[in-house]
Order: sequence, then structure tokens, then C-alpha cells
Amino acid sequence: MTIEMKTNYGKIDVSKEVVAVIAGGAAIDCYGIVGMASQKQLKDGITDLLGKENLGRGVVIRELEDEEIHIDMYIIVSYGTKISEVAHNVQSKVKYQLEKMLGLKVNSVNIFVQGVRVINP
Amino acid sequence: MTINLIDGEKFAHMLIEGANNLSNNSKKIDALNVFPVPDGDTGTNMNLTITSGVKEVKGQKTDHVGKVAGTFAKGLLMGARGNSGVILSQLFRGFSKSVEGKETLTAKDLSKAFEYGVDMAYKAVMKPVEGTILTVAKDSAKKAVEFAKSNDNPVELMEAVVKEAKASLKRTPDLLPVLKEVGVVDSGGQGLLTIYEGFLAVLKGEKIVDLIQQEPSMNELVQVEHHQSMQAHLSIEDLEFGYCTEVMIKFEDEKVKENPFTEEAFRDTLSQYGDSLLVVSDEDLLKVHIHAEYPGNVITEAQKFGSLVNVKIENMREQHSSILELEQAANASASSKKNEKTEYAIITVSMGEGIANLFKGLGAKKVIAGGQTMNPSTEDFVKAMEEANADKIILLPNNSNIVMAAEQAASVSDAEVIVVPSKSVPQGLAALLAFNPADSLEANKEGMLESLASVKTGEVTYAVRDTSLNGVQIKKGDFMGIFEKDIVTTLPNVQEVAKDLLYKMVDEDSEIVTIIFGEDRTQKEAEELIEYLEEHFEDIDVEIHQGNQPLYSYIVSVE
Repeated sequence: MTIEMKTNYGKIDVSKEVVAVIAGGAAIDCYGIVGMASQKQLKDGITDLLGKENLGRGVVIRELEDEEIHIDMYIIVSYGTKISEVAHNVQSKVKYQLEKMLGLKVNSVNIFVQGVRVINP
Repeated sequence: MTINLIDGEKFAHMLIEGANNLSNNSKKIDALNVFPVPDGDTGTNMNLTITSGVKEVKGQKTDHVGKVAGTFAKGLLMGARGNSGVILSQLFRGFSKSVEGKETLTAKDLSKAFEYGVDMAYKAVMKPVEGTILTVAKDSAKKAVEFAKSNDNPVELMEAVVKEAKASLKRTPDLLPVLKEVGVVDSGGQGLLTIYEGFLAVLKGEKIVDLIQQEPSMNELVQVEHHQSMQAHLSIEDLEFGYCTEVMIKFEDEKVKENPFTEEAFRDTLSQYGDSLLVVSDEDLLKVHIHAEYPGNVITEAQKFGSLVNVKIENMREQHSSILELEQAANASASSKKNEKTEYAIITVSMGEGIANLFKGLGAKKVIAGGQTMNPSTEDFVKAMEEANADKIILLPNNSNIVMAAEQAASVSDAEVIVVPSKSVPQGLAALLAFNPADSLEANKEGMLESLASVKTGEVTYAVRDTSLNGVQIKKGDFMGIFEKDIVTTLPNVQEVAKDLLYKMVDEDSEIVTIIFGEDRTQKEAEELIEYLEEHFEDIDVEIHQGNQPLYSYIVSVE
């Protein structure tokens, strides 16, 4: 359940949970995102019940062979925004943030738009 | 004439001027872009977004403000690019909803529309980040609403909005730490301000040219360029241009007459020398900032227009070396002068001039200074390998702590590299003696490994603090005899320690003893050891060398 990076001095293990939280945090910073769609109903449900902030919600980290890292993000966007652009913004922000904070190279950030929320101010 | 109502035509005109103003300033806004991703495209994105909106407006001739705003919002939505683009489209989506069905706008309508736009924009985000275009929009809209309560002049209202937007923009670094870190204001906020200024210009009946945006200062731009270049090089590639060069020139009339100056042409000329180029000039002064590999060329080019006032050149590779150790190293030495190309090169590590010469005398091409307490980095190895310029490279680290770095360096080199893990200077010397340039790399490695295994190493050094090892009490300042890894003797007198150590190392199979004496010992003292050995052992040859090494009084090898 960890992502491994090797350095001169040894290795650094970062748990997938951490990667997910960073990716999630980056995503909700993006304009146009109104929420994340939970993929793990039970786990996220419990975190919600406990009233904890759950930044890793709706983020799935997949590590394939050859140390490829793929991130799936399940997002809910605001109606009236250019959804393709919002999705693209999320991709670049998530990729940038992971590289900046963890030095982690991500092979892909896949966006699944799971919902659109209509807002009337 | 005072305007109290804004009609559709005027409104369309406002939008167009706002877009023009943004477009004129988009490059500067790009330069401010550090958040959310410092990719320097905010200005471009906002410009593309608003251009798409304006195109729609231009295509539709109507005098109805609500319709104009609706068309504009639709165009923005379709053309939204980037984060700030999407936010901009959202702001005007709210704006247009608010003025829907209105043929003309009063000051109150305008203020309400701003407010509604902000509400809409804030609703479309889960966690609004303050210190961005959102904050600037919010603050200025609030001001507008307040202002409209007591004043119904839209021109004055817009003036207040622009003023507040400006002030709010100034506050953005306090709200968003990354801005403060880099020392800039938010790019999206700057974009919005630029649009509002366009609006104001139309309402006042001014030409936009009169209102030239205060340029970000050279320093601001330089900071941003550095930030971006650091980000880029951290992740993507190594530094291509190694020197941050800043030149300030005072224009001289004669030179300029001969060689007329235009910023654009000059920029073109310089762009071939490097990147992160900034050129700023007024009537008297020309300032240039560039990251170039050959700063001299830049200075020469700049000097064509006047006299040098100030020159600053910084080696960025040095500055970044801690962060970019590996990536940089590969490139840093690429341009430095290379040795003649050879098939084999042996690179070794040692402390002390004497030992270095010893290695060189035996055929090592490069000797990296280092050893105990001063381990060379992987970068040092990479650099040495580049400079050695050979197809096949053998690395002799001569210290167990350095083997890792050598292996790391071997894995990044283009040449065929092997590491013979010599753990001491005598082992390194022995390995070097076994080297045969006619053999293959593999055969050499085998031979060298065999050879270094046949050598016994002893070292005499002093204790830097009181300690106790294997039951032996060692006082600070005492000398210790180390045989391979173990401390075998410790005494206050260095000569006695050396003799004791030698006595323990030499046995009946020993043939040659090599003594390398350090910077704190003399030839005479070393010769004393020869006498001692000859007294106690028969049939052994003793060689002494001056090693000049620090820390170790003697390094001894027995084979």
C-alpha cells in the first residue's frame, strides 16, 4: 500500500493514503469543483460520521507494474462551468502538487465527472 | 456630460475595451502566474477566454444590456481556459443573470450585478482559495454595493471599484503564502483589475493608452522567472543556461544613433543566448535579465547601445547544487574543458597531495580530493567522469563510505563504468597496480579485486575525543593504530603506535611494507620505522612515501 522512491540514502515510502489526500486537497482547490464522489462508501461513510475532514475521498491511486502511478479522481462539478476545462485544471494542479510536495511523478490523472450540481444563488 | 445610464452599446464597448486592455497586458500577467500551477499562462488563458466572449458580443448587434451581457457570458463559458478563465466566465455568468431583461444599467444595477457575479463564482467552488481573482472580485463588488447606496453615478462607481480592486490585489500576498514567497501579486486578480480598468476607461471616455498599467518591477519579474525556472528544472530537466546575468546599460546617444534600439529586436537577438529573458528600458536606461551560458555575449550585445552601469552574474548551478545535485552535474561539466579522449580512465579518491601524486604516477587520470570526514558526492564523481572523457572508467573510492556514491555515479554515466570497491588507500594503490589496459573491463575488475584483497591496511590516527572501544580506554589526543577495521593499539606516542601496529600486521608471509606518512610527520620519523622493521623482521622490503594526508599520521600497507 505504499509508493516507494529511492534516494542516495535509502528509500522513502509514502502511503497511498497520503498521496490520495494530497491529490484530493489539490483538486478541491480548483475552481469549479463542488465535491468529490466517494468510491469507498463504507470507509468514507464512517469518516463522515466521525466528522473528520476527508480529503482522500473520491481519489483512487493505482500502482501498476513498472512503478507507474495512475490516479483516478471522481469529481462533482458546478453547473455552468466549462467542465472540460475544470477537469483539465484539476489534472494539471494534481500533477503539479504531487511533484512539488512528494517529488512523485504521476503517469496519468484520470478524471471521472460523477455529478454536476446546479446552483442558484 | 455625465452618464447616469449605461446602454447596450456602451456596455459592449466596455467589454471590448476591457478585453483589449487585458490582451495588452497578458504577457505581464503571465509573468505573475505562480498559483495554482506556476506555468505562466494566466494572462494568455484569461485573454483567450475574454476574447471568445467579445467575439460573440461583436457578432451580435443589440442595444439591450441584458442581451449583450448574456451573449458575453455565453462566449466566456464556451471559451473558458485555465482556472482564472473559468472563474471569469462564472463571474460574468452571474453578472449577466443579474442584468437579464435590463435595457440599460444604473449604478445600482451595476453594483448588484457585480455582487451577483461574485455570489455565483463563490458557489461554484468547494473550497474557495483567498488571495486570488475571487478575492479581488469579492472586495471590489462589496465596495460597489456600498458605494451605490449613496451615489448613482456609474462612472464614479466604476472608479471606486477599480480603486478597491487595486487595493485588494495588493493584499493578495497576505492571503496566499505562495505569492508572498515569490513576492508578486495574484495573476488572475491582476487580470480582473485590468478588465475593470478597461471598463472605467470607456465610461470616462478615455483612451486605454492613457491608462497604461503600472508595470511590474524588474525585480518582481526576475523573481517570478527564477521561481518558474527552478520549478521547471527541479522536475523536468537540467539547467541548460548556467548563469543568471543582469546587465544595466545607460544609453549613449552616439551609439544609439548608429545602432537604433528597439526592445523587440534586442529581445530577439538575446533570445539565442539563453532563456528567462527580461528586457526593460526607458529613455535613459536599459535593464536586461537573462539566464545564459555565455554571459559575455549578452554584455557585448547590450554594450552596443551604451555604457555599462551595473553587471551581475551568478552561477546558478552553484546556487542550485544542493537541490539539483545529480541533474546538474551531468550538464555542468559538459561545457567545461575536457581531457583528451582515452579508452580507459581510472578515477580515484584521496586526501593529501602526496597520495594524489602517487595515484597519478601510477596512471590514475583523475584524483578527487576526499576521504574520511570529507566524502565526495555523487556529483563530484559524475563531474570527474565527464572530464576524464573515456569510454571505460574504473572508479576506486578508497573508502567504504564513498563506495555508495561511486556506484550511484556509475549508474548515471553514459560511459562503461565499473566500481572497484577499494576501502582504503593501500587497497586502491594495489588495485591500480593490477590494472592492465590491454584487458577488458571485466577482466580488470577481477584482477583488481584479487589484488586489493591481498593487501593488509593499517592506519595511524588520533582520537578526537575520549572513548572506549572493545574495553580499551582511549583518551582524546592519543594515537590509535587501526588494522583494517579494528583498533589494535593506542598510546600517547605516535611512533610507538606505528611500531606496535606494524608489529601486529607483519607476519612471516609478508614481503613488502609501504608506509605513507602524513602532513604531521617527517621523512626522518618514517625512516625510524624502517629501522624498526628491519630489526624485527628479515627479508622484507620497506618503501616510504610522502602522502601529505591530513588526519592520518601513517597509512601502512602490508602484502
